[in-house]
Amino acid sequence: MFKQFLENAEGNQGYLLSSLAIFLLFFILVGVFVLTMKKDEITYMSELPIKEDNDERGS
Amino acid sequence: MTEKFYYDNKTVRNFAIATVVWGIVGMTVGLLAAMQLFKPVMNLGSQYTTFGRIRPLHTNAVIFAFVGNAIFMGVYYSLQRLLKARMFSDVLSSIHFWGWQLIIVATAITLPLGYTTAHEYAEMEWPIDIAITLIWVVFGINMFGTIFKRREKHMYVTIWFYIATFVTVAVLHIVNSIELPISGLKSYYIYAGVQDALVQWWYGHNAVAFFLTTPYLGMMYYYLPKMANRPIYSYKLSILHFWSLIFIYIWAGPHHLLYTSLPSWVQSLGTAFSIMLIAPSWGGMINGLLTLRGAWDKVREDPTLKFMVVGITCYGMATFEGPMLALKQINAIAHYTDWIVAHVHVGALGWNGFLTFAILYWLVPRIYNTKLHSVKLASFHFWIGTLGIIFYAVPLYFAGFTQGLMWKEFTPEGLLKYANFLETLKQILPMYVMRSIGGALYLTGVIVMTYNLIKTMKAGSLVANEAAEANPLPKDFVPQGSDKKAHRFLERKPLLFLGLSLVVILIGGMIEMMPTFTVQSNIPTIKSVKPYTPLELQGRDVYIREGCVNCHSQMIRPFRSETERYGEYSKAGEFVYDHPFLWGSKRTGPDLQREGGKYGNAWHYNHLFDPQTMSPGSIMPPYEWLINQQLDTTTTRSKINAMRTLGVPYKVGYENLANAALDKQAKAIAADLKQNNIKVKSDREIIAIIAYLQRLGTDIKAK
Repeated sequence: MFKQFLENAEGNQGYLLSSLAIFLLFFILVGVFVLTMKKDEITYMSELPIKEDNDERGS
Repeated sequence: MTEKFYYDNKTVRNFAIATVVWGIVGMTVGLLAAMQLFKPVMNLGSQYTTFGRIRPLHTNAVIFAFVGNAIFMGVYYSLQRLLKARMFSDVLSSIHFWGWQLIIVATAITLPLGYTTAHEYAEMEWPIDIAITLIWVVFGINMFGTIFKRREKHMYVTIWFYIATFVTVAVLHIVNSIELPISGLKSYYIYAGVQDALVQWWYGHNAVAFFLTTPYLGMMYYYLPKMANRPIYSYKLSILHFWSLIFIYIWAGPHHLLYTSLPSWVQSLGTAFSIMLIAPSWGGMINGLLTLRGAWDKVREDPTLKFMVVGITCYGMATFEGPMLALKQINAIAHYTDWIVAHVHVGALGWNGFLTFAILYWLVPRIYNTKLHSVKLASFHFWIGTLGIIFYAVPLYFAGFTQGLMWKEFTPEGLLKYANFLETLKQILPMYVMRSIGGALYLTGVIVMTYNLIKTMKAGSLVANEAAEANPLPKDFVPQGSDKKAHRFLERKPLLFLGLSLVVILIGGMIEMMPTFTVQSNIPTIKSVKPYTPLELQGRDVYIREGCVNCHSQMIRPFRSETERYGEYSKAGEFVYDHPFLWGSKRTGPDLQREGGKYGNAWHYNHLFDPQTMSPGSIMPPYEWLINQQLDTTTTRSKINAMRTLGVPYKVGYENLANAALDKQAKAIAADLKQNNIKVKSDREIIAIIAYLQRLGTDIKAK
């Protein structure tokens, strides 16, 4: 199916490949960001919503 | 030293009530529209309640009134708490709330009256567009003001989603609303044809992305950890999710225009990015569901978590199906059918609806300092709602496949097996009945919720100003340890964050739109394509006013099954004078692109007066008021002038001759009708719409 999909691009593979390249570059950059984050930062950030007080009501 | 301050719960409460009220209104109107599709009498015999006018009212009401108010409710509650600060300004909160409600009321009045721009999900006319812009800016100032005076140094991922929502919706709304007003409530888009289509679907697709998805993802990342009382499964994944989602989403709009006259390379880009979109969407879904790992026992007891689980699952289903529908082979069958309607409702009813209900059940008892009136009723709501979604979606999927395949079926002799469009429609009418039962079940659940929430509110009392305390941020921030890292830095700089999000979302839109707007060869002109005559132009505006575009496309795709049924496939150059484009996105009735000359004037007259006489079994409502109402020709001059400003080559001075030409053409049509024993004055609206229908697609017909 993928081959068919590429054929349907009607000679515009350049656009497909460059868009894929732009995205991959972007994705890798964000990936590097994420992988270089320290564990304590992650824990700090992810606990932000549940650190508040007065959570006991309602439930 | 810790500072004491108060969270504003009153605005949150107001938005919550507005969410419920407009939810009931929007869904009731939706149910009416659903019933109109199998019982034409439900059009209620009035021009203000026909499907063509009611359908945009339904879509705008559920998107901007129900979901819109729910977003603001969710944002106002979570933003204050995540930033440890009261909203920036009570006055702005109040202007925001009442301004938004006024916009909704203005929309609910003007759309049934026929004031529409014909751009899907943006039908409101220009004064309302301006009001939306102003109120959106008020919301932005209030949000950023709060961010600036925050007591929490770092911005949690939820706030990034809110910032991206704010900036992208602003860009989308402004670009998609550039109109040239010709009167107090009528305007023309400056774009025409293919370009207008590209702008509309860039907007339409990204309205789904940045109004129905990103704010809800932000809310998921805040409320799900609160409800389950545990942090999100992976914060790293949420960062990856955020950046890749906002980057990719903006490119995918052209998948709404596959096989149309849009340049094929734009279509290919749209498809490629749609496929990639699965990754971040599913990353988000998995992150949500895995947050509940080890807490599934809670899901069994807590209806709010049940709503969240089904809601997030529906998000996963809709975001898997979306990219599949963007494959040309699948799109060829699904486009213009009820498959698309089913697809969007899995997202709307499941994802937006269920998340909204979960947040309401969780939040209302908290701001009223009490417990939910009845957990049992909430559970009942969950089950009847889920059943409603199933009864809604399954029959419509079935209807979509069935009709899509019937349109394409040929006999061994090479003729269309179902040459009469109505045959394919009659086949799926039982599915339409089932769908409205599903809708009614879903609405019943919402009414039960309303009762439950009112009882809860009565049992408690609103904590309008909730006390809290936190340390203020030090004036001069000294970065320590990992604070120097790039993303940590970004999390402290809201304006830089805003700028970066803006850049990320602009890349895709620019690459796709710039060439279509600037490179001449992308829209090849056709010599024989001429501007509309004044009467046709007026008729076109009647067509727009009646919302014909909601059921009839004007875009024949290059398939044998379509050229056999409708005629020559559509070319980009045929639409260069179409402000706005009227390609449509759904064929409840047949395509009209080559309607001109197919039938006589008398056929159209009789068909508009009573469709069932000409097409037995048709579900189109009668339009007898077109015969009684006089065509307003006082606007002809300003319409010709406006079109010339937009680049339509009417000669200078033609605006003075336009009404004479209009009269002449109208009299000729009236005379032709008279020969067929139909007596009608030449100044009636029906003459203009017949003139327009007879013109459609004739420019490139061999004479």
